[in-house]
Amino acid sequence: MRWVTLLGRIGTVILMIGLALLVFSLIPSDGGFQSGWGTGIGPEQYMLEELGVYTPQTGLQISVESTDNVHVYLFGVNSVELDNWRTLLRETYPDLDEMFIELWVVPMIFFHEAYPEETPPNLDDPQTWDMMWDVALLDKGLQTHPEIILWESPPSSTFSHELFPAAVLDIMVIIANPSSNTVEVDINIKIKEVASVAAKERAIVAARLLIPIGIALAILWLILRKVKKSTF
Amino acid sequence: MGKGRPFLEIFTYALDEDYRFPLLEIFAFLFALGTFVFANFAPYGQTGEALAYSLVSTLCGFPLLFIFVILILKNVAYGLGSDLEKGVMQTLFSYPLKRRYILTAKLLSGLGIALLLFLGIQIFGLFLLAPDVILSYPSTVFLTYAAQLCSPALLLAGLVLLLTLRLKRGGLAIVIGVVLFLAGLVVSGLMTSIAYGTGSDVALKIWAVIDPNSALQTYYYHMGAVGFASETWVPSFSEVLLYLGAGYLIVAALFVVGYVYFDRRLEI
Repeated sequence: MRWVTLLGRIGTVILMIGLALLVFSLIPSDGGFQSGWGTGIGPEQYMLEELGVYTPQTGLQISVESTDNVHVYLFGVNSVELDNWRTLLRETYPDLDEMFIELWVVPMIFFHEAYPEETPPNLDDPQTWDMMWDVALLDKGLQTHPEIILWESPPSSTFSHELFPAAVLDIMVIIANPSSNTVEVDINIKIKEVASVAAKERAIVAARLLIPIGIALAILWLILRKVKKSTF
Repeated sequence: MGKGRPFLEIFTYALDEDYRFPLLEIFAFLFALGTFVFANFAPYGQTGEALAYSLVSTLCGFPLLFIFVILILKNVAYGLGSDLEKGVMQTLFSYPLKRRYILTAKLLSGLGIALLLFLGIQIFGLFLLAPDVILSYPSTVFLTYAAQLCSPALLLAGLVLLLTLRLKRGGLAIVIGVVLFLAGLVVSGLMTSIAYGTGSDVALKIWAVIDPNSALQTYYYHMGAVGFASETWVPSFSEVLLYLGAGYLIVAALFVVGYVYFDRRLEI
């Protein structure tokens, strides 16, 4: 009887684990972390936003809506390259505020490569500041560093794109306004995890295996328990 | 009759008392569901060992660890306490077995089986969810579990064991155990605030002896999180091992005191 009890309890535990996996696979996914914001982009200017570090397992879905046609690019730069660029900027512009280097390393590099003799862009100096955000500078930078473009959109006012980088990369979104009018842009980012989708599939497979094993082990003990209870 | 049979008798009795149907099954369900629901695969873009640490930490984070602590506190405090209160311990003392073996049988059931269930489900979950993490960084996974379980789970189990033996009542010991668990969360935050406020790392180092996971967490977060503000104190890996060793020494000391008290001083 003790062996039947032992096997029965092991069976009920396995059954409950299987049921837990089944419940997990039925819970609808929360769709991942989402964020959204809106901004205006001046005529023939572009904007850049750092989206964070993404991996082959953790990707993103980007949706953009704008009042006029825009070009959208997704850049991917590895952390070593970013650190090299930051070091280069610190050496070239020793008086430059660290915040500029941290936030706008890519536009700063584009600017430095296009205008090596120019003073660094500064918020107090609208001329150099506008030069840094000019679409012409972006085009020149893209010609020099085509390897950082992970994806680019055709000119459009509404689209959505999903991206899972092939390596661990810092991802940035760049939206360029080629028109001569200011455009209003709404951007939505949703973080997507391959693993969470794969986990549910694996959980279903495991549940299908565990539930019958659990029932097979527990059934005799459960019947004997019921018989014992009804006898007393 | 050898020692094996009476030991097994007491162990079976303890199992029966600690895990009445369907208690074991409910905890197994909660552990399994929690393991899968709370898994977070890429926290803040971390990679390598830092990712392995973060993944295991999310698996045995607050909700699951609290359920596990409740289970072991119930087993240690209530299981042992009710035996002392109801006089069952006197019957157990009549077995041809030294007192320390009786306590071992009770702890094996209350703590050992609970640990086996918790870790078994967690490792199974890890293999299913992220086999590459557990296969690539087995030492990080082991260290993280060792640190997470040292405090509060095993530390509280040792304290509650002492309290139950001293008070000869389980109810009060379990309440004190839960209060200490929650107090630990508050003190942990307080120590960090003190360290940032004073600029001194003494508070963090003292806390790391009681809760080695805080040292391990600082070590891995500093390794994996690029761009975060620099910590007041970032231990080296050998320091982390020292704090973990110190934490387990405290836990071992509590259990040794418990055994000595049960063996020589406990009067029924």
